[in-house]
Amino acid sequence: MQHYFDVIAAILPFLWAGFVQTFWVSLVAIAAGSVLGFLIGVARSQRIPLLHQLFGLYIHILRGTPFLVQLYVFYFVLPNTGIEALQWSSETAAFVSLSVYTSSYVAEIVMAAIDTVPAGQWEAATALGLKRLPILGLVVLPQALKLTVPPMSGVYVNIIKNTAILSVIGISELTRQGEISIMRFPSDVLFIYGVIALVYFVYCYPVLRFTRWAERKVGGTRVVNLD
Amino acid sequence: MFGPSGSGKSTFLRTLNALETIDSGRIMVDGVSVSDPGADLNKLRSEVGMVFQLFNLFQHRTALDNVVLPQIVVRRRPRSEALRRARDLLEKVGISDRAGHYPSQLSGGQQQRVAIARALAMDPKVMLFDEPTSALDPESVTGILDLMKDLAAEGMTMAVVTHEMGFAREIADRMLFMDGGLIVEDGSPQQIFQTPRQERTKEFLRQIL
Repeated sequence: MQHYFDVIAAILPFLWAGFVQTFWVSLVAIAAGSVLGFLIGVARSQRIPLLHQLFGLYIHILRGTPFLVQLYVFYFVLPNTGIEALQWSSETAAFVSLSVYTSSYVAEIVMAAIDTVPAGQWEAATALGLKRLPILGLVVLPQALKLTVPPMSGVYVNIIKNTAILSVIGISELTRQGEISIMRFPSDVLFIYGVIALVYFVYCYPVLRFTRWAERKVGGTRVVNLD
Repeated sequence: MFGPSGSGKSTFLRTLNALETIDSGRIMVDGVSVSDPGADLNKLRSEVGMVFQLFNLFQHRTALDNVVLPQIVVRRRPRSEALRRARDLLEKVGISDRAGHYPSQLSGGQQQRVAIARALAMDPKVMLFDEPTSALDPESVTGILDLMKDLAAEGMTMAVVTHEMGFAREIADRMLFMDGGLIVEDGSPQQIFQTPRQERTKEFLRQIL
């Protein structure tokens, strides 16, 4: 038992640094990916010829290939194209690739949610003389966004777990830090991986709980006291 | 307008505010050609009220907000004025005690009352009703029809798709019988009910009366 405490004490600073990195990367990917995905999803929902197909291609390429392959493309292939703007560090490559990957899932969720809002809502607003953008902003999106909450939590948890893949391009996130720790304590492989898994769980579980709470919060209708 | 389902009544009604586009011909509403490419459809629609079979209230807004929102966005009324008008209209349609409820908390009849108030809030010159009572329980039907009779008595121009023949007979100035996408018969209620000219009209009236 004392041995395990010693191991923990020795690796804790590294795991903490790894967790901070994981937290940071996932946060950026979730934020940037959500904004990008939201814009693409809204644009796609409008069924504008060409634009719809173009973004569709973007989404299906990203969803139809493994994230690991995308990461290699962003880290190894793009910087070799000779384009100045793509000469990025491994950290930037990680941020960009994970954000882009996230956006493909968010875009599909947002478009599906917009499509789920009954056509009658569009019709009623149109018949009242509202233009397309106010209809989208005031009538359709407020209803659609509620519907995105449950599927979005699944995506976010997936993104958090996928940050582990970033270890292959040398991002010193949680999994990478764990592997370094294992080199120091090779006989405690199982224990260290167990600790890492626990840290991921402690991070992901509140995200799932939070969305459950948010779902109730936005889904519930209550009578508004107008006086 | 009346006729069997699939006869094109709703489609016809929806062409009047360009919710459906037409392939040929010309539709004039208040001197504006609806199908004209240059027509200001948003302006036209804001002057043509529409009430739907399934109410189509904005689900995320309270009854009051449903009536306030289009006034602010389309008519650019100050919020206080829109609120005053909304409260007056909810009072008029007999639902002021439910102003703070969401559509999902209202019965069909109550929702339709709010929908009528919402359409009236735009001060429409003409109102379109697309089977406004078809989705309601018998008790609510009477209430909505009475409300529409009041509107008619106030002089509101209304185009109504309905299966409520008694109601049509009572308030319509002109009735259209549609079948297979065509206007089969066009006349006063008296003429349509007592001396229908077309065989198809007679047959249909025999079936439903």
